[in-house]
Amino acid sequence: MRSLPTYVLERTFDAPRALVWKAWTDPKLLARWYGPNVETVIHKLDVAPGGLWLNEMKMGGNSSYQRAEFTEVQEPEKLVCLMSNTDADWNIASNPMMPDWPKTLLTVVTFKETANKTEMRLEWTPHNASAAEIACFENAMENMGKGWGAGMELLAELLAELAAA
Amino acid sequence: MERTGYEDSSQTLDAVFAALADPTRRAILTRLATGDAPVKDLAAPFDISQPAVSKHLKILERAGLIERGIDKTRRPARLNPEPMAEAVRWLEAVREFWSSSFDQLDGLLQSMKDSEEGNPK
Repeated sequence: MRSLPTYVLERTFDAPRALVWKAWTDPKLLARWYGPNVETVIHKLDVAPGGLWLNEMKMGGNSSYQRAEFTEVQEPEKLVCLMSNTDADWNIASNPMMPDWPKTLLTVVTFKETANKTEMRLEWTPHNASAAEIACFENAMENMGKGWGAGMELLAELLAELAAA
Repeated sequence: MERTGYEDSSQTLDAVFAALADPTRRAILTRLATGDAPVKDLAAPFDISQPAVSKHLKILERAGLIERGIDKTRRPARLNPEPMAEAVRWLEAVREFWSSSFDQLDGLLQSMKDSEEGNPK
């Protein structure tokens, strides 16, 4: 069996792990950092197995909605949830910008404390995804990943040149 | 089933990714960025036949990355940057969302630390 494509994002924060955990699990704090340049409204955040995170992001006159269901919570080192885009009634919906993007991503966030810093690792894997969704995710990951960096840079340059011409 | 614009856009993206996953095709696009060119000129820098270049052009054309002239004998190829722009924008948006969020988290953690230090419990 082929293993599912997984996207990994790592980041080290200059703060103790307890503080990073708090920023992820306190709705007031989460709303302050999650979603750049948007107003984030957290309708619900129940950080417990089976609990929900219902998130609205307001951009101009529009909103986009996301829900996450926590499946594993190990304070202060691990959060696992199933993340999806939804409609305004919190029903899972495909992304209109990218209909083949996996509707649900298994999201695993781990926090490791070293010398008063916190190493965070975010992993995404398509969950219950169709072949088309897995292919779309894999394509995008490849584009973001190693083999593609140069190609995408080239294209970005090319587009900049064209825009300037 | 009726096709919507959204489905078309995802098919375009799939075709774009597939088309870009080849160094010869990327080189052809780079060449076309400097100006329109007929197959004969596009084949010249590569160690491959004109029919092989035509095959690459067909894939690029299906992905919407290039357009071909109507002139049957020359059919000069022209770069169409829009589908590429869409792919680049999408990928950038996903990556940017999280990295910008984490930049904000960085700032928030700093202010949380500062206020803890300022008000020891």
